Amino acid sequence: MTSRLSVYEKAALGAVALMLVAAGFIFVFAPEDALQGPVQRIFYLHVSSAIAAYGCFAVVLIGGIVYLWKENATADRLARAGALVGLVFTTVTLVMGMIWAKPIWGTFWTWDARLTSTLVLWIIYAGYLMVRRLAEPGRQAARFAAVVGIFGFIDVPVVHFSVTWWRTVHPGPIVINDALPAQMLVAFLVTMACTLFLAGVMIAIRYRIEVVTDQAAARIVSAAVVAPSKAGSTR
Amino acid sequence: MRTVAVALAVARKDLTSEWRTRELVPALAQFIVLALVIANFGFQFDSRTAPAIAPGVLWMTLVFAGLVAFGRAFAAEREQASLEAMLLTPASPAAIFAGKAFAAALLLGLCEAVLLPALALFFNVPLSFDVVSAVLLATVGMAVLGCLFAAMVARVRARELLLPLLTLPLWIPFIVIGGQAVQVAMGAGTGGTGSATSLLIDLDILFVVLTSLVARFVLDD
Repeated sequence: MTSRLSVYEKAALGAVALMLVAAGFIFVFAPEDALQGPVQRIFYLHVSSAIAAYGCFAVVLIGGIVYLWKENATADRLARAGALVGLVFTTVTLVMGMIWAKPIWGTFWTWDARLTSTLVLWIIYAGYLMVRRLAEPGRQAARFAAVVGIFGFIDVPVVHFSVTWWRTVHPGPIVINDALPAQMLVAFLVTMACTLFLAGVMIAIRYRIEVVTDQAAARIVSAAVVAPSKAGSTR
Repeated sequence: MRTVAVALAVARKDLTSEWRTRELVPALAQFIVLALVIANFGFQFDSRTAPAIAPGVLWMTLVFAGLVAFGRAFAAEREQASLEAMLLTPASPAAIFAGKAFAAALLLGLCEAVLLPALALFFNVPLSFDVVSAVLLATVGMAVLGCLFAAMVARVRARELLLPLLTLPLWIPFIVIGGQAVQVAMGAGTGGTGSATSLLIDLDILFVVLTSLVARFVLDD
């Protein structure tokens, strides 16, 4: 049974199992917040997915710089994978934050510095994926996207430090300020580790998809070189 | 020194071509006046609400006029395929880019010379030094970013769609800081404008340096 699973399928199953473990820590192990009640449990995945998104966008930044420097196709594929996965985690962060904000702040959305900068982050990387789609595939798309990825990363520290730079309603850093009770801290660290593993597995799978897509595109090009009329009808 | 000479030559070429055709600035000036007319109908304007609304109208109009101006900066080059010819010369791509951005910033500055007096005239808001300096400082950073992405989208499909998507998110810092400075100068909002000036200069330096580093990858493709 297991022998028929590829390494990607095994990793995906592992990531799902780990997220279930994290769910156990979030819903069973962690104590209920005295003030916020059960809604506070959103915090664990909300912050973890924000950190995972930062990590993914760091992959985009480094992949972009390495691509511009060395024209390395691997770096570009990693950046592509990182952007998509990072966008997913940013979406999770935004949506979970909104679900938390409704009962706590009384509104889904407020034009707070952190919320606004996170929304801008989402738009920047959605634009990154648009560039990838609209530019000529290959060198041009990779170069243009790398530039967008480098500029876009400027927003990541803005998001991170927005709660200290501006007066915001968003809760400030509580983990590094040692403001969490021990059990909550354990639940948070477990959730974060599982979420980062999930992000890594998603990037690896997406990377594999990018490799296969590139190979298929290269095969179409070489087929077109051999038999132009036949390949023209396949695309 | 050579870089500066090349940049100035490219800027002079763009400004000469604009002077001979006189299409961009007059069209944008009309666009700006039309935007103010629409703002007048969209908002409930009176002497009490004007300080609160006018800064928003200023930045909305400036941003969309800027998108058109920077989009045009590389449109002529693309139509004539003249960018390739410029890149064949020994001039550095960064210098060519700097010249294009400089010319585009000057043209947008001309549009601002229409926008700011028109705003002050129609909406009866004060036009102080703080307003002008915030707008001009924001123009520098907006011009380098706008030209970088305009050079990029000139080579892709659906360029009219992509330019705002890429440019607007990165213009937001200028609008956050400049917007607040203008609000304060027009009598709405709180706080001083002193820190806004230095923050805008910081942002200008950051984006001028970054764009000059990556311009070569966008142009020389």
